[in-house]
Amino acid sequence: MVGVLIRMKLAIVRNSMTGGRAALMITGGVLGLLGAATTVWLSLVNPSGPGVVPDLLATTYVVWLLGWLVGPVWGASSVLRVEHFALLPMPRRQLAIGLLGAAFVGVTTAVTALAFLSLVVYGIRQGVLPALVSVPAAALQLVLVVLLSRTSHSVFGLIARGRLGSAFTGLLLAAFLVLTQSGWIVLVVIANSEVLSTGFPSGYSAVVRAIPSGWGVAAVESAHEGQWWRAVGMLAAMVALSGLLLLGWSRTLGSLRHGRTTIRGSSHAPAATSPVLAGRTAAVVRKELRTWWRDPARIQILAIVLGWALGTALLPLTLGWTAVLPWAGPGMALMAATVACNLYAPDGTALWLTLQTGSEREDLRGRQWAYLLVFGSLTVAVTVGFTLWSGYTWAWPWVLALVPALLGGGVGLALYTSVVALAPGPDAHKRPDNPLEHGETPWQSQVLFWVGLLPAVPAVMTVVFGTVYDNAVLLWAGGPVGLATGVFLGWWLGRVAIGRLRAKGPEMLYQMRTGRAAKTVAAAAPRVDVPKVKLSRRESLVAGLSWIFGPLCLIPQGVIPVVILLAGAEQKVWFLALYMPDPLRWPVAILMVLLGCFLLHQAIRLTVKSSRL
Amino acid sequence: MKSIQFVRTDAGWRSSAAASATTARSDRRTVVNGSASMPDSSRKATGSHPSAQDDGPPALILAGLTKTFGGKPAVDRVDLTVPAGSFFGLVGPNGAGKTTALSMAVGLLRPDAGSSAVFGVDMWSDPVRAKALIGVLPDSLALPERLTGRELLTFLGQLRGLDPAAITERTRELLDVMDLEHAERTLVVDYSTGMRKKIGLATALLHAPRLLVLDEPFEAVDPVSAMALKSILARFVADGGSVVLSSHVMALVEQLCDTVAIMVEGRVVTAGPLAEVRGHGSLEETFVRLAGGDVRAAEGLSWLAS
Repeated sequence: MVGVLIRMKLAIVRNSMTGGRAALMITGGVLGLLGAATTVWLSLVNPSGPGVVPDLLATTYVVWLLGWLVGPVWGASSVLRVEHFALLPMPRRQLAIGLLGAAFVGVTTAVTALAFLSLVVYGIRQGVLPALVSVPAAALQLVLVVLLSRTSHSVFGLIARGRLGSAFTGLLLAAFLVLTQSGWIVLVVIANSEVLSTGFPSGYSAVVRAIPSGWGVAAVESAHEGQWWRAVGMLAAMVALSGLLLLGWSRTLGSLRHGRTTIRGSSHAPAATSPVLAGRTAAVVRKELRTWWRDPARIQILAIVLGWALGTALLPLTLGWTAVLPWAGPGMALMAATVACNLYAPDGTALWLTLQTGSEREDLRGRQWAYLLVFGSLTVAVTVGFTLWSGYTWAWPWVLALVPALLGGGVGLALYTSVVALAPGPDAHKRPDNPLEHGETPWQSQVLFWVGLLPAVPAVMTVVFGTVYDNAVLLWAGGPVGLATGVFLGWWLGRVAIGRLRAKGPEMLYQMRTGRAAKTVAAAAPRVDVPKVKLSRRESLVAGLSWIFGPLCLIPQGVIPVVILLAGAEQKVWFLALYMPDPLRWPVAILMVLLGCFLLHQAIRLTVKSSRL
Repeated sequence: MKSIQFVRTDAGWRSSAAASATTARSDRRTVVNGSASMPDSSRKATGSHPSAQDDGPPALILAGLTKTFGGKPAVDRVDLTVPAGSFFGLVGPNGAGKTTALSMAVGLLRPDAGSSAVFGVDMWSDPVRAKALIGVLPDSLALPERLTGRELLTFLGQLRGLDPAAITERTRELLDVMDLEHAERTLVVDYSTGMRKKIGLATALLHAPRLLVLDEPFEAVDPVSAMALKSILARFVADGGSVVLSSHVMALVEQLCDTVAIMVEGRVVTAGPLAEVRGHGSLEETFVRLAGGDVRAAEGLSWLAS
């Protein structure tokens, strides 16, 4: 059973492998290896504080556990779907064991297994008997996280059917994003505090060991202290929890027809008669607003954007920094474009109605207006509220310049990307069991996060000059400049997208219907389109890797270290250049900037080549 | 390649359609004269029927439509003429290319070659006018899923530029006829397959088109609703409307249609008035003969029910 399922999984993965997917897998694998290496390194350090290493390890294991819990929400669709096996006459538990076995085959499991070797390393450092305990403990820990991940997949699928559940999963994702992007703030807090020499507070140590990810650490520690009943008890508890999870998970496998949360619509509303509300664009806006309110997938997008912006602004409060508060609004505008970059795919083949009624322009503009109404109102409210709360009056010219530029640029970029880089997912009525299943958009989001910053450049430059030359007119001119940039970009990018939608509508529909890009062999009627240049597998791999590592090299590893070197600050965190001996710091930082520029150039060149109109 | 042209008594258009009918008529001349790809036989056929009814252009002309998926032709140079006022049935086995052909005919799939014209208006060079003349029910495509049936029809009415009072009234009537009023607050995403089919038909009818193109309209629809639908369609044709539907239920096509075409493996193997196509036998016999009787069925699965 396990063997059959593993072969099936490998076959599916092989058949759906593209250059882009391979790049993503390699990137994920490399990042995962870095994480695993860091974890093992933690087990080798020698801080002076008592019990610091096990505390650090237990803390890291919580992060790994969180990653496994959130993973299925992020990836959304699993390779082997339970529905495939629904009609096989097979006990659920046997199916569960088979699927679990297949779940162990993957890059993520291998990387995590490496990371959990740190427990064995720690055990060996404690002595022979703790080392003997650490081996089953590490293995059980791996089984536990995989099982927890499978269970959370089922549970999230269940709760995400309602809007509240979708919002919850969205917030969870946002929390994970905030931790991975701004987690270094927590590291700074730990590094600056005395814990490395004095040890963590006992309450903290107890909590990280109470979470199942810390049970392995607790078992090894007990073995070291000679508390045998406790060590064996911990291992037994891990086995028992695994058994319980397997039992619980296998129970969810068979019962596919759970009562579905139904969302209700309006009743007997007559058609709008006033000329403003009865127009074609207004009709689309109304449909879109209803969809934003009723579709769990859209609620999740809203929760991610809101959670990310608020989390990023509030996390530095742990350091007592309030300077980040005013940027919550602009961050929200940026994140909205990043997350809502695939707005046509969730509606799927409903595009046929747009094509049939010839309402491409109204449809796109209507979606833009709805986007502005939803994200614009939230952004403005958060900007005003948080800037007032921070009490920084100097921040006003900046946020007034940033918000309109980022919002306008965002509404242009998001819709443009939705049309040009459509990533189709299953139609809504074909995924009743998991409304959050969607097309995957790793490129689009990664690219948009950086490109989404560009619309703010003119407005920010105005404010910068105003600050440098102490010129009040320039300082406050940033707002109007931002507004003009935003309006222009929203309008212009929308116009380009409308042209594309008109020219390529049937091809987009075909792509959503089949999940594959359409190829029209010869000309039909008037030829509006020039065929796409298809990138080779290697080229799209290079493009994907360049999109990921280019911005990483340029901004966090290049520009920020340069700024830190200029400022003469001492925080090294994860900036490679700052770990170099003094004479090499500047060359490495500049090399990173150049490498980043080169990779971005590669990425843009290949992307332009593949999507040339 | 078969090409057909039939003359059929046309009861005439309702007043609202008269204006567009005239424009369509004048357009048709250019289409017929300018179309090099139209087979000679159809031009001859047009010329040989100088009756008054023949003045109007055919409801739908497909000329040389071709679509290839992954090197395999799904639709191979299909020529078809659907006379105005006819009830046209397109039948064929699974995978014969019916859905692909109809998608290309109504402008939802770009053909590799060939053209489609609705009442003389070319679908791919003048899509706005052509699409205004037709109502379409595609097979298993999504709708704006987070709207209720009433909201969906209202939304579409507004997109079609109908008058608000007309939208409210037609929506009410359509929901009543389709027996969807009890699902007033249910979103389309929660509809059953049959209900989806019915709301899809309602969207096709809403703007009172002159030609209906329906892909498997009766699949999964219960007998009571099917009866109501059949009578709506029959009245629509009696009032001068034209219908093209695809199906693989022969009895249904025999009951409803006056003209049929049989597609096998991407090609139209025969087309004509129902009586002509089926000859002395039933449509099913003709169909099985043309589609190639399957000897595998007789050999059977020897291990089954042993």
